Amino acid sequence: MKVIIGSDVKGFKLKEHLIKFLNSKDYKVVDVSPDPNLNFVESAKLVSEEVLKEEDNFGIVIDEYGAGSFMVANKIKGIICAEVSDEHSAHMTKEHNNTKIISLGSGIIGKTLAENIVMNFLNNEYSGGRHQIRIDMLNRLA
Amino acid sequence: MKISIGCDHIVTDIKNHIVEYLEAKGHEVIDNGTYDHIRTHYPIYGKKTAERVINKEADLGIVICGTGVGITTSVNKIKGIRAALVRDITTAKYSKEELNANIIGIGGRITGIGLMEEIIDTFISTEYKETEENKELIKSIDNMIEDDSYINDEHLFDDLLEKWDRGYYHD
Repeated sequence: MKVIIGSDVKGFKLKEHLIKFLNSKDYKVVDVSPDPNLNFVESAKLVSEEVLKEEDNFGIVIDEYGAGSFMVANKIKGIICAEVSDEHSAHMTKEHNNTKIISLGSGIIGKTLAENIVMNFLNNEYSGGRHQIRIDMLNRLA
Repeated sequence: MKISIGCDHIVTDIKNHIVEYLEAKGHEVIDNGTYDHIRTHYPIYGKKTAERVINKEADLGIVICGTGVGITTSVNKIKGIRAALVRDITTAKYSKEELNANIIGIGGRITGIGLMEEIIDTFISTEYKETEENKELIKSIDNMIEDDSYINDEHLFDDLLEKWDRGYYHD
């Protein structure tokens, strides 16, 4: 599994923090926004495109509120992105929605909560079954 | 204001509460279902709620499911919709003021009723403040989806629902 991460200018510091955190936990991390001056449309597109390259890739997008990146990533076919600010949503959405990317707001959540949200997202699996019809429906849209 | 609302079967009672809350405040509400607790699928109600907004039958939309993720993702996958999924008033205000969001998503099992009501009040009352920068961002978001042929297609999910009825999707 690879973790693809990217942020806009406002999310840059939290992104740097999460990269260090994930590296310390031995995750393979790909930073698609080493340039700190992207807007969230650019950074969320970069993360989504990289995530789609391999089945086992998961992504993290960060801007100040998490809302803009969430809109952008979900406009892309094959991406299911969850805007989350709590740990419960982070693992429920992985299990039920086959979520590929989580969107975080650097102005909304602190570092420790961000770490725990990321761990809840990465350490759970999609459960499939009855949930798959909803995913097939989402894929009929964009 | 005219508000389009939709939910899945997990949170129908919460949706009903919000409909009453909005009507008591003088809003006109279009309730797109679901209307009971029988197991169903959030994209059906997300799509209906979004179409009311796209067709200008409603000014704004509200979508609710368990975490809010499934149904809010479904509306964002429709061209012209900009939906934020929020658990705080700050993001609700930002998404309308800066991104001119036209739908707000909430997790019915995540957010309490008091906060939910204030998120909705804030979303409705906040006005979009246009700037050159946010206009460009909004344009970029709206241009991402090219094919919108599925909008208003009432039979889009028919074959999937048939497969469901045949027992194809099981735990």
